[in-house]
Amino acid sequence: MRRLKPGDFVILIISVAIILLSMRSFGEFSGKPEVRVRAGGKQWVYDLSVDTRATFDGPVGSTTMEIEGGKVHVHDSDCRNKVCIAAGWISRPGQWIICLPNDVFILIEGSEIQEEGGADDTAF
Amino acid sequence: MSASQATLLMGILSLPALLLQDNLLGIACQVLYVIFLAIGRGRKFRILPNLILLISVSSAHLLQPNGLHLVSLGGFSVTLGALLLGARKALTLMGLLYLSHFMVSGRPEFPGKLGKLVAMQFYYFEKITTGWRSIQPKRPFIGAIDRLMLLLEDSGSEPASISTKGSLRATTRVLITNAMHVLVLWSLFFAGYLGLLPAFG
Amino acid sequence: MTRLSDRHIPARVEFVALLAAFALFLSTVEYMIPKPVPFMRIGLANLPLIIGLGILSDREYFLLAVLKVFGQGLVTGTIFSYIILFSLAGTAASTLVMYVFYRFARRFISLLGVSIAGAMASNIAQLQLSRLILFGDAARLIAPPFLAVGLVTSILLGLFAESFVVKSQWYAKQKENRP
Repeated sequence: MRRLKPGDFVILIISVAIILLSMRSFGEFSGKPEVRVRAGGKQWVYDLSVDTRATFDGPVGSTTMEIEGGKVHVHDSDCRNKVCIAAGWISRPGQWIICLPNDVFILIEGSEIQEEGGADDTAF
Repeated sequence: MSASQATLLMGILSLPALLLQDNLLGIACQVLYVIFLAIGRGRKFRILPNLILLISVSSAHLLQPNGLHLVSLGGFSVTLGALLLGARKALTLMGLLYLSHFMVSGRPEFPGKLGKLVAMQFYYFEKITTGWRSIQPKRPFIGAIDRLMLLLEDSGSEPASISTKGSLRATTRVLITNAMHVLVLWSLFFAGYLGLLPAFG
Repeated sequence: MTRLSDRHIPARVEFVALLAAFALFLSTVEYMIPKPVPFMRIGLANLPLIIGLGILSDREYFLLAVLKVFGQGLVTGTIFSYIILFSLAGTAASTLVMYVFYRFARRFISLLGVSIAGAMASNIAQLQLSRLILFGDAARLIAPPFLAVGLVTSILLGLFAESFVVKSQWYAKQKENRP
């Protein structure tokens, strides 16, 4: 068609580029870090990037886990030694917290996101 | 107030009862109720589009695991919390949709200048649909559209007036039944809110 | 309903209502076309908005957009549901983008470019909205097919609009009347 103008092709190319860029996000879902909790033979899964709080029952009582700002810790637990609370916050795949007396195991799963420097942990 | 406006008002008063509901069983009952309301006004209910909405919204929420692990599908965990959240959201959307269908089933007249314009738009809409049927041949489309538009401009606007004003008694009856619908939908909200209905997960 | 003739609506506004009715008609035509994928739309109802660029004043153009959204919401009964939000977001984005492109870059682009830009704007706005109220992060998964289908249909619509404004006698007549 004679009436088409050069700008049309610029817009077309930009649009195709946007679509190609939007395909990139397919890969982002596979390696998303997840928090897996095992307690009493059952398993729970949470998204590390969504703030939540959940309570799990074990032989001694209940253990409350908290996810906040991409980090996990045991907020409260009925066990006597409170080692799990003392373990503090974890945030990277492969890290875990265990509450032995109450049989609650918390593990972060997923591929390593980026090389994180130790300084980041204190900076945030 | 006309009967169609009463229905519109009823819908507006009931909207928050659906939006604020966060009990799955509660919203399911509300949805069922408004679907029957819409069907009562001659609206068709089709399973497939609703099923697609329910499945797509629920499965989209699975990407964000939350709660008890049910099964793994190819290294991907299906969790109860995510499933329930997705189902609840999809049901809320369905509820709003059918409540909306019910609200405008009487073709209520909207107030103000915009209302008048919309009325005029509908008047021309009727003319276009009848005009399009009379146009032969329909191909090429550009020629057919051309003839349609030229035809409409020549005809000008001479709309028929239709009265929708019902009798006072009929309006009162409509008001009472609508008040009952509002009551039912809000009762279901409070049943969920106060924990009278079982919560899953 | 009261008499329309009592309403003292100027002829230009009535013309906008006519175009809005045409949009409504096209959306019912679109409704009858079977589609392989849910959520897929051709966007036929945007044709009056594309054509209107050349024959409406700025105010009339945006009034047409408002009437299109309201009318569609009423005729499909979705005006008080979440669907109207999608319609509103999509039409607002595409109307604005098409208007800006047509008013300021008409020398470089035809209605084909206008149509593509409008569809992309509309679809991106709707994807953002679906991320908020329907799918969450998973909206990014439906983005590529959704945008790709929109691109194809907007090319077809743009080509049709371009040949319409060249061939239509009605359009030529309106072009002369444009305020």
